[in-house]
Amino acid sequence: MSEGSGLIDPSASSGARAIAAAPRPASLAGKVVALLDNTKEQGDIILETIGVALRERYGAARVILRRKEHYSKPATDALIDEMAKEAQVAVAALGG
Amino acid sequence: MNETEKAIENFFDKEWSDGLPVVPPTEERLAAMLAATPRDPDELIGDVPPLLAPATVRAIALHAVMAGCKPAYLPVLIGAIECVLEERFNLLLLQATTSAGAPFVLVNGPYAAEIGLHGGVGCFGPGFRANATIGRALRLMMMNLGGGIPGITALSGFGGPWRYTYCVAENEAESPWPSYSSAHGFGPGENVVTAIPLEGPVLVWDDASEKPERLAVAIADMMSAIGGGNIYRQADMAVVLSPQHAQVFADAGLSRDAVHRLLIERAGRRLGEIRRGGIWRGASGAARWPFKVDLDDDGAFVPAVGNARDLHLIVAGGSGSPSSLVMHGITVASRAVSRAYST
Repeated sequence: MSEGSGLIDPSASSGARAIAAAPRPASLAGKVVALLDNTKEQGDIILETIGVALRERYGAARVILRRKEHYSKPATDALIDEMAKEAQVAVAALGG
Repeated sequence: MNETEKAIENFFDKEWSDGLPVVPPTEERLAAMLAATPRDPDELIGDVPPLLAPATVRAIALHAVMAGCKPAYLPVLIGAIECVLEERFNLLLLQATTSAGAPFVLVNGPYAAEIGLHGGVGCFGPGFRANATIGRALRLMMMNLGGGIPGITALSGFGGPWRYTYCVAENEAESPWPSYSSAHGFGPGENVVTAIPLEGPVLVWDDASEKPERLAVAIADMMSAIGGGNIYRQADMAVVLSPQHAQVFADAGLSRDAVHRLLIERAGRRLGEIRRGGIWRGASGAARWPFKVDLDDDGAFVPAVGNARDLHLIVAGGSGSPSSLVMHGITVASRAVSRAYST
């Protein structure tokens, strides 16, 4: 972690765990899609509308909607695991 | 440029700084810092969100060097990072928030005085090395280890000076009451660090009120400010009384607990007032409150602090200043954490 001239690199790159992004499917046809509501106002309405479009326009087999405890808290591991078991693709609401 | 100047410029170029020059971290300086703790340099305190780089004792010491800490400050800094990495503190929120919140660090106990961590006149700065550099080291870790880079993952619309450093000791010597930490179950001689998720401080000036009933008016009004948001969100909140304001209450025979209760009782607004604007969201917002209010009664009193434990009452600042500070909270998803730390 030395940074030339005897100095030390203090940044995340010196020790952060690399987390690979999940592979993106080329098509949603026949896939189960999980939508994660962040609890912000009307997020559920937007996600439900997106869910309909994913089924009707992109051929998603099924859409499941889940909700976090609070918009400012990460989703729990249990919730992520449950979604991962059922769905092949997930979309998380952001902002609001 | 000499080597030191080049090193300082290099840290600016790499964006490993808060915008001020850092002390270039050499192996020698790091070793001197690590000598201040018996803890293993490889000990992992936790991963700093959102990037999740590990805050080992070595990484903490490295940032202490960069921030300009004396080695004697390291135990306080380790205690502070232990607090903010607890789950209930939810540091991720303070990193990503679009508000201007920051971890406020309060230190109680004899070690604070020993290292010059200041709780008296002007304690929020500038001018006090321990206050300035311990808070700064915490922020540098949020940036360098957590990746809290403004505009990228740190999305605070304004930022704020308290995001450089936000660290004081309680003014135990001039407080008329037992300390904040003893009110929270710690022993009187124990060294305790507390992190509270808070917005920036707002001054409450009152050099006219000589009775608790009157003095509580201005403080409670600021606590329940519509724009402060606490009354809608029921987040944690801090009130920092100057020794002079604390004395007004104490002279009337009020204990710390009694003032805590008085402020909670007085800080609030009528429902009809808070539903006129602010972040009123109707019944869905009110459903999150830790108390029941009749939503058909515009005259119903809505407290700014619904749970007594959410109000953090602190005595700090200089005697001779008839003022207090109110620091509003952010959301219920981030809560204060206190820990005893070893020196």
